[in-house]
Amino acid sequence: MKRAGIISLFVILFIAFITVWNYSYYQGLEEAYIPTTYDSSSLIIPSEEGVFKRSKFALEYAKMPIDATHERSLATYYKNRAFPGAPPSIPHEIQQDGTIGENSCLKCHENGGFVDKYNAYSPVTPHPEMVNCRQCHVEQKTTGNFKENYFAKNNPPKVGVNNALITSPPMIPHQIQMRENCLSCHAGPSAPKEIRVTHPERVNCRQCHVPSTIEATDNGIFKRGN
Amino acid sequence: MSASIESRRKFIKKMAMLSAMTAAATMFPGIIFAEEQESNIPNGNNLDWKKGPCRFCGVGCGILVGVENEKAVAVKGDPKCEVNKGLLCVKGYHQIMCIDAKDRLTHALVKKNGTYVKTPISEALDLVASKMKQTIEQHGKDSVAMYTSGQSTIPEGYVASKLMKGAIGTNNLDCNARLCMASAVAGFLTTFGADEPMGCYEDIDHADYFITWGNNMAEMHPVLFSRMLEQKNRRGAKIVDFATRTSRSSMAADKSILFEPQTDLAVANAICYEIINNGWVNKSFVEKHCNFSKGLTNMGYGTEDKFKFKDKPTGISFEEYKAFLEDYTPEKVAKYSKVSVKDIKYLANIYGDPNKKVVSYWCMGMNQHTRGTWINNLVYNIHLLTGKISQPGNGPFSLTGQPSACGTAREVGTFTHKLPKGVVMKEKHRRLAAKIWKVPYENIPAKPTYHATEMFRAVDRGDIKFIWTQVTNPMVSLPKVGRYTKGMEKESCFVVVSDVFPTPTSDVADVILPASWHIEKGGLYGNSERRTQHWEKMIDGPGETMDDAWMTIEIAKRMGYGDLFPYTKEGHVEEIYTEYRQFHEGSKHGMAPLEVLQKESGAIWPYVDGKSTQWRFNAEYDPACSNGEDFHFYGKPDGKAVIWQRPYEPAAESPDNDYPFWLNTGRVIEHWHTGSMTRRIPVLHKAMPHGYVELHPDDADNMSISNGEMVKIVSRRGSCTLPASINERGLPTRGQVFVPFFDENMMINDVTLDAFCPISKEPDYKKCAVKVEKV
Repeated sequence: MKRAGIISLFVILFIAFITVWNYSYYQGLEEAYIPTTYDSSSLIIPSEEGVFKRSKFALEYAKMPIDATHERSLATYYKNRAFPGAPPSIPHEIQQDGTIGENSCLKCHENGGFVDKYNAYSPVTPHPEMVNCRQCHVEQKTTGNFKENYFAKNNPPKVGVNNALITSPPMIPHQIQMRENCLSCHAGPSAPKEIRVTHPERVNCRQCHVPSTIEATDNGIFKRGN
Repeated sequence: MSASIESRRKFIKKMAMLSAMTAAATMFPGIIFAEEQESNIPNGNNLDWKKGPCRFCGVGCGILVGVENEKAVAVKGDPKCEVNKGLLCVKGYHQIMCIDAKDRLTHALVKKNGTYVKTPISEALDLVASKMKQTIEQHGKDSVAMYTSGQSTIPEGYVASKLMKGAIGTNNLDCNARLCMASAVAGFLTTFGADEPMGCYEDIDHADYFITWGNNMAEMHPVLFSRMLEQKNRRGAKIVDFATRTSRSSMAADKSILFEPQTDLAVANAICYEIINNGWVNKSFVEKHCNFSKGLTNMGYGTEDKFKFKDKPTGISFEEYKAFLEDYTPEKVAKYSKVSVKDIKYLANIYGDPNKKVVSYWCMGMNQHTRGTWINNLVYNIHLLTGKISQPGNGPFSLTGQPSACGTAREVGTFTHKLPKGVVMKEKHRRLAAKIWKVPYENIPAKPTYHATEMFRAVDRGDIKFIWTQVTNPMVSLPKVGRYTKGMEKESCFVVVSDVFPTPTSDVADVILPASWHIEKGGLYGNSERRTQHWEKMIDGPGETMDDAWMTIEIAKRMGYGDLFPYTKEGHVEEIYTEYRQFHEGSKHGMAPLEVLQKESGAIWPYVDGKSTQWRFNAEYDPACSNGEDFHFYGKPDGKAVIWQRPYEPAAESPDNDYPFWLNTGRVIEHWHTGSMTRRIPVLHKAMPHGYVELHPDDADNMSISNGEMVKIVSRRGSCTLPASINERGLPTRGQVFVPFFDENMMINDVTLDAFCPISKEPDYKKCAVKVEKV
């Protein structure tokens, strides 16, 4: 009787083990399938969200002393671009040619900082979420041309002439697609000195600065219906 | 001995501050770079800077206008003004540029045989006065009406009220603030018995949490929002955006919570349920300072002419209120509000935590609501139950839309039921007005007549035969405007429009009077935080332009009321203000004397013994508190505020199979209301050239609408065709579309519904049902 009890106990335990194991095995199989439904209800407005992206650094920018010997100027900023608005080329050597950029570029270009090797502050990217850097940014391995080219580079927008009135805040003279994050270029030690903002702590840039280059059908001077 | 320790401490503090300031100055990049960045900008050394409030929103920023050779050439923020501390928004900086618009109204125009004829202004005023007089003689006093504005100055509102109610003797005076602040007023009066916020903007510097209820402050109250962002960055204060649409404010906020239109009523009740259920009620505060009450339900929506409603308040016990809230558990509310239980509890937690200071902000989302008075009451409930009110950094704060919605519409009282102090229904208030106005007491009728929407219905019906609008553009801003424009075009009504620019309203006028713009006249405004601001005339206006107050006075004189309006042309602003101040004498509403306002950048009323009162109802700050307790809600006879039992009721019109989308309307940062000023400012027009309709990307996908494509928005009342905007300025929820109303070419108010809150009579521009068609 005692033996039968012990045997039946082990049998029950064994059956229980088999059941639990089976159940969890099939559960495990099911969980391995992750449905890839696309949830487009994300709460991001690209043109609006970008403005606030670096705002947590704004106070630090406001307090940062000026390092006059290592400043960039607007001339060098545009020298690196084929035309105003074009993606800048990479002005330094790249160690690993096999990468898309990602972590290696972002190490310096996500938040900036002084780079001893180039004796300069690293410029900050306005769009760190796009990690295939070298899709748009390429090296300049030679200074010469394959054939001569008459492409005329447009003059970049000027500084100090974008105000409608004396003392009124300047309008934004450039396109802002992919450059919604104002502080990345207009604040911090890598900002070109001519466009470095005096008040980075204000954060909500487009409260005062609105684009003057909106792409819209020009309806001409408005005429009243009657 | 103790005194010397005190002064030594002060000295050390001062030294520390000074050294910190010096260090900051050496590091501040602005000073060093100013030279290089601004080398091309004229320095403006010869400018004469004149102080005033901004022309646009209810924030009431202090501006300095640079004047050179009698022309305004620059604007900057007034660093001495406590409101904005030197900062403005893009509208504020460029405001003076509208003055020189080519189509500025410079002379009176009188319609003769269908065309407008340039007429000397004195002749036009003669015509208006004789027409008004003749209409009264033929059809009675109640056949003439005036429709003014929350942008009217205090003197403009005051003389309009004196002419209509005191001299002529009709209550046919209402204003566009009915479309924007009436629910806030009704909310204050029902809960506290006294209008206007108890706190002030300084709350921003103390609060731990800012909760915005259906309020896109980043675009509509940008300077205040910047003050909030500053506190967020410096102190870690949190911004929670509770709204029906994802906006620029949501992007900047720490948390964004979306709800289904109209269910804010239920969520507010659910928050109160959680507060009571978790024992977060501030018991001693509620026992000492609060009563419980309920009113009528199923109030209706006012879409029919001559709609009448009167609430009947009944006192209830705390237990009854608690039982009522059983219907609003977070679990029940989550089902139809589309706010998760977690988020409701999150909000309740913030309000319920006694160690967190919370300010609630709202504006049109809660006011333009068919249950606007209720939702105002409900948010007050939350603050009263937790005792978070009338203290620095703690309190509900109703923001105003217009620069003088508080100062003129609410304090002077340019509503049909209002007098400069009190209401026409009370004999005591009529007697006071009659005494100061020096008119027979019987002149002022005891019964209110038409509120804004009903006034234009009366024009359409032919009951009003003469209407004069000032500083407002109702033919763009009224809901279901199609009906009212047709009404105004009818021969039965003589329409006079005073404005600075031609608008769709002046298009239907019989006489157009050319008005002075903001700085071409002197005046006073009153902003959201009870601050009264004064400015002097800075430049001359073009042609025969005249300020609205003086136009009203000229009409009054021509109608034979000259002795009631003995003001001088040069000094009328100051003379009128001094007369008006008598209405508010006393510690509850005393206004600062003119000399103070001329010197300072505004003062907050009650202004008692040379001091602004920043927090009303709190004995520590408010000298009018007289019950010996910490708080005294002296607006009510028993000194107690009311916690209201208000249920959730559905919107007047909800989406259905035929009209499957909610339509929400609103504003953008670049434009001021109907755009008659800002669209004439090149900078602002370039940045925001036309209206648009925002769609959720999924809805757009389903209908294969791409960005910029023209779509037609159709309701049971009318339609409007605009370009689609997908993933641009804002992102409505699925099943909702959003349209800004500034564009008179894309008149979305042809589509909206003229349902209103039965208590406040304020229309709901945020909710009606539409369908979307590809053009």
